[in-house]
Amino acid sequence: MKYLPLVWAALRRRPVRTLLTMFSIVTAFFLFGALQGINVGINQATELTSQSHLVVMSRVQMQAPMPLAHLARIRAIKGVTDASPVNFMIGTWRDPKHPVVVVGADLKELFRISSDLKVDPKQVEAATRTRTGVIVGETYLKQMGWKVGDRIPVHALNMVKTDGSSDWVFDIVGSYTLVQPEWATRVFANFDYLNEGRAQGKDQSIEFYVGIDDPKRSAAISQAIDDSFANSPDQTQTANEKDFLESTLRQIGDINFLVNGIVGAVIFTLMFLTANTMSQSVRERIPELAVLKTLGFTDGAVQWLVLAEALALSLVSAFLGVGLAALILPRITSSPALAASGIGSMHVPHVVFAAAIGVAVLLALVSGIPPATRARRLNIITALSGR
Amino acid sequence: MALVSLKNVIKTYTRGRQRVEVLHSLNLEVEQGEFLALMGPSGSGKTTLLNLIGGLDRPDEGEVAVAGERLDRLNGAQMARWRARHVGFVFQFYNLLPVLTAERNVEVPLLLTRLSRTQRRSNVRAALELVGLADRATHKPTELSGGQQQRVAIARALIADPTLLVCDEPTGDLDRDSAEEILGLLQTLSRSQGKTIIMVTHDPRAASYASRRLHMDKGSLAKEEAGALAGSVT
Repeated sequence: MKYLPLVWAALRRRPVRTLLTMFSIVTAFFLFGALQGINVGINQATELTSQSHLVVMSRVQMQAPMPLAHLARIRAIKGVTDASPVNFMIGTWRDPKHPVVVVGADLKELFRISSDLKVDPKQVEAATRTRTGVIVGETYLKQMGWKVGDRIPVHALNMVKTDGSSDWVFDIVGSYTLVQPEWATRVFANFDYLNEGRAQGKDQSIEFYVGIDDPKRSAAISQAIDDSFANSPDQTQTANEKDFLESTLRQIGDINFLVNGIVGAVIFTLMFLTANTMSQSVRERIPELAVLKTLGFTDGAVQWLVLAEALALSLVSAFLGVGLAALILPRITSSPALAASGIGSMHVPHVVFAAAIGVAVLLALVSGIPPATRARRLNIITALSGR
Repeated sequence: MALVSLKNVIKTYTRGRQRVEVLHSLNLEVEQGEFLALMGPSGSGKTTLLNLIGGLDRPDEGEVAVAGERLDRLNGAQMARWRARHVGFVFQFYNLLPVLTAERNVEVPLLLTRLSRTQRRSNVRAALELVGLADRATHKPTELSGGQQQRVAIARALIADPTLLVCDEPTGDLDRDSAEEILGLLQTLSRSQGKTIIMVTHDPRAASYASRRLHMDKGSLAKEEAGALAGSVT
């Protein structure tokens, strides 16, 4: 610790150069933190999703509605235990700053299918008895300041009522939790309430959630469902939830692969940039380093001082970059679209901080070792004589 | 027993393909408390001799002993530790670290000791007071005159209470008044504190402050004079 003033003084020697180098490293680690946070989030999302229930969508287009009549045919397929239609209402509560995603479903069937959603069966019972009843994610409930018993008005953006208005009313009768608590952000309502109240798109469903008796047969049952609608104008595409989510996120995944490649390239380039900065810094300070050796600093001590500079520069910048990502990522990923997919805002987990420290140490070593070695080998007489 | 003892020291340098013998079988003894001035023309080997005595370089042949320690037998790390304990260096161009304040510059050698921060600060204050710069403690080298920078360098050289002070042209970059201040300070350190000082200089006036003057020529000691000719006796 007593050598810190020397390290700090060396970094302050050319403040503009140090700040610019820091800025480059902060930017690279911000990207690193944000993208790794998203990757971890996607992985967790797919791991949490179940292979034991299926999602049926329109083969024509992802969000194209299918006739509600499909439900009875799906229920009749061998291996299907439960099935629920699913519609999505996107709206706002009080003002546009509070987006709400309401999922209309057969609540009894849905909570049987989605066993990862933990809920009191009595509350599900109460919700099905209450036409306007909803079950809300515990986290979302707290986030919005709601409680069970509250009546919430939602101004729908994609669902007009038969009376021409877009204002819907819901009564909170219960809440559910998830293993990933921050992703308990959905509002589940009775399908019939939305279906009967809406002016357009009645008796249609965007998706069907399907429970099956054997997860190992998910591919065969999916195929059976799709085959039964093969000659219909509303053909289906069925997959288990895990495959469905993976395919939905694949586009983001591909972008991540691309951007991860860019971040990798940026960090690789940074190694040369930082190495150049460090080498330049050491070259300028050769007489000063020689003075330190003259005063009794060993070759090893001088080498460590230079390495400590590289470590300080790299670690502080990496921490700032990933810290910035941790602050910003939850805000930029808190979107209704992700919430509708059952994914809440994403965070930079501790493991990414640990990985960033590892990468920063590697960056410091790769960029710091050549100038540090040069400092260690410095001959006092030659350096002091300016040769 | 002499504090500094050199016996049959030979030092050669390689310049291109040529080997040049800079010191030829040199013998020298410096007593404890002496203020020795090494004079001579450029290339006579003064600085090479000073570097050997200060533990910055090794002889090719012969013995260099300071305070009973055979420097020619120490490895690099041992030599560095020995320098930290036993030698204070004063250079012609001060060689202060430009980003550190005067007090931080003076403190640098103490970072190698086990002294606490409080003890280090207290010693630094005392050293700066000794050279008359306590009021400039927080100034950076660029905010000080040449003479003041050299006094900071002397405070840094003295801070670890070394056995020996080696000065390479300490007044070479100073105006006459500043040079006299520095030489007076070195003379006081020698006389009142018994510091052993070895100073390389071109300047006969600077050498006149020393208690002994040795002339070097072509790698050998030429002639010797004793007794200070200048400076106040304290």
